[in-house]
Amino acid sequence: MTGLGDGAMRRRTIIAAFAATLLLSAAPTYAQDVSGELVLLDWASGSEQEMIKALEDGFVKANPNVHFKEINLTVQGDARGAIRAALQSGEKADLFINTWPAFRKELVDAGLLRDLGPLWDSAKIGDNLSDSWKALGSTDGKVYGITYTYGDRSGMFYKTETMKKAGIDAQPKTWDEFVANFKKLNDAGITPVAIGAKYWSHTEWFETMYEHLNGVDKAADLAAHKIPWTDASVTNTLKKFAEMLKAGCCGKAEGMLANDWDTASDMVFVQGTAGYQIIGMWNNDRARNVNKLTEGVDYSLQQFPAMGVGYDDVSSVDSKEFSAFTDSANPAAADAFLAWVTTADAANIIASHGLASPSNKVDSSLYGPVMKIAADAVSASKVQFVLGDLLPGDLVDEYRVQLQKFLQDPSDATIGAVTQAIEAKAKTFD
Amino acid sequence: MSEVALPLRGSDGSNSRVQGGGRQRTSLRRWIADAPAAYLLLLPVLVLFGFAVVYPLVQTIVLSLWDIKGLGKPRFIGAGNFLALVQDANFRQAATTTLLWTVFTTAISVGAGWGIALLCAIAPKQTLIPRVIIFAAFGVSEAVIGYVWLQVYRGDTAGLLNAILAGIGLGNLAHAWLGDAKTAIWCLIIAYSWAQTGLPLLVIFAATQQISRNVLEAAYVDGATPMGIMRHIIAPLSMPGVRVALFINLLGSLRAFDTIYVLTGGGPVRSTETIGYFMFRESFTQFKLGYGAAATLILLAAVLLVSIPAIVQRTKSTT
Repeated sequence: MTGLGDGAMRRRTIIAAFAATLLLSAAPTYAQDVSGELVLLDWASGSEQEMIKALEDGFVKANPNVHFKEINLTVQGDARGAIRAALQSGEKADLFINTWPAFRKELVDAGLLRDLGPLWDSAKIGDNLSDSWKALGSTDGKVYGITYTYGDRSGMFYKTETMKKAGIDAQPKTWDEFVANFKKLNDAGITPVAIGAKYWSHTEWFETMYEHLNGVDKAADLAAHKIPWTDASVTNTLKKFAEMLKAGCCGKAEGMLANDWDTASDMVFVQGTAGYQIIGMWNNDRARNVNKLTEGVDYSLQQFPAMGVGYDDVSSVDSKEFSAFTDSANPAAADAFLAWVTTADAANIIASHGLASPSNKVDSSLYGPVMKIAADAVSASKVQFVLGDLLPGDLVDEYRVQLQKFLQDPSDATIGAVTQAIEAKAKTFD
Repeated sequence: MSEVALPLRGSDGSNSRVQGGGRQRTSLRRWIADAPAAYLLLLPVLVLFGFAVVYPLVQTIVLSLWDIKGLGKPRFIGAGNFLALVQDANFRQAATTTLLWTVFTTAISVGAGWGIALLCAIAPKQTLIPRVIIFAAFGVSEAVIGYVWLQVYRGDTAGLLNAILAGIGLGNLAHAWLGDAKTAIWCLIIAYSWAQTGLPLLVIFAATQQISRNVLEAAYVDGATPMGIMRHIIAPLSMPGVRVALFINLLGSLRAFDTIYVLTGGGPVRSTETIGYFMFRESFTQFKLGYGAAATLILLAAVLLVSIPAIVQRTKSTT
């Protein structure tokens, strides 16, 4: 694992973090005179990149002697390869954005990340972020990441007009209701679920389904390879997924495999040719700022339906953090930014862009209806970090490709072959 | 140099060794006198070659002997990466895909270029604009071409191919072309071949323009039909151009990456992953640099296997 502790501990810490986020408390902000160039290794794109830019502008406004330089990485699919290539090719930056606990561990082991524990104490970051966020940004007991946003990965985005067209007045609360709606949607010429399986986003459905069928403890054990991928919990989840596919959820396999998450998002939000999509909360930012939809009116979010086997109080979550490099040329400015990003000014910039801030200084009235649904759902859930982001090395690649094979042919024979293939790769990391 | 190596013969044959020895000495003296200047002139090229080719090659060979995973500490494993590659089912599949890809993209692009070049040879002036248009595709970045074809192959009704099929009453054939392992590789082959047709057209057309007008006029005078002239004169005499085009396009196909990256990302389920793409995925996505370097060297061996005989043959035909 990645220094986040065991599954139960991580779950407790994240729940506490979400609860703490809702509390507003007064605390001093961290300030010091800083100047010079601050270099950010940035792989965000689209409206999310605009939010990062707004954060930079906000920080420069508070610290006029600092100016930002961005090393922008244009990536397709998983960004880790591009970040590794940039670092290996000698790019020097003060800060970078990370979302993968497994990657943080890799960077820490390579001696590239600076321990932010001293900063946490001196800048009193704990006044803005709860200890739970500290634990979430830690590897091997030391803080290496300051979380600036988090997301619900078990929410299903949908467009209200599409549901109206299909004659769906109320969103399904149970799995059976959800599956029953497939016919209504298909009859209206709408693909019930948009899955972009070209690279990685098809795993979202498997992961949330796995947690609802087996609980977050089992999911944490699977991520840590304490149970094999050939375990009945995995095969049963894939069989349930197969039932969903056979019930006509997602169109043909080639349609899923031809699309990435953004194409799937367009199917839901732009073309209205698909009903639901599970993806991170950056999709909320995208719907508001790129698709120009009104949050809570044109579109909304429905938490994953209850599957009724005792594990429906769960959510898959992700987070993004800023980390500092050990060879930072301007550590003072980097520290000032890391402390500032937890303040009310930064948190409100993040919230106004349709994303959730973990800071307890955030003005929660800035959250739109969809973000409120997501925050409430997560704070009321037992949570598990996105499985794919916890898997080491090329195991994640094998996991994604094998699930693509499953989508091509969701038969029992394929399920057996797929789980064995992932298990074989997982064993190479034991 | 060749004068030194070849046995020389005098006009009467009797004193050939004396005359030959004299010429050898003269040539040797001339070579000794000229060598410093020749090497001085070659030096910039040799230095550039050393930096741009020899040094990276040596580095790649060294890298291939190490186990490097992510940003972790490298571990020397000798030939371990090569042995692992041989046992890697994904690499074997990539090798098969590379073979299919290379054969078909080369055959289609050179075949199409040859056919168009022969047609253009009949009326060079009148076909100037089509030639320029076709060649222009060769000048466009492969990534841009990928994005163009992405719109052609889109799986929904907005995709050009699906729209055309719907327009001619074959809407039932509409398909997510790039998401189906059976069609994705062929879609890529067509897209790549389309972009690569320009160069064979240019090279082969140039070869046809070298054919002497006297030969063509003589054929007409002897009563040859246009088809006969095409079949028995222009087509055979365009073969030097065809060989050059085959060589260039074959090497290009072996190294192709951009179009695959943009259109399918090697998918679905690695079905369009060539060795070049495999090398990229292992090296830059998984960051297994040693493993990727080993795959690079195998690809290099394949390139050399193709190019050395072709270069040797070309050199022989020009000396």
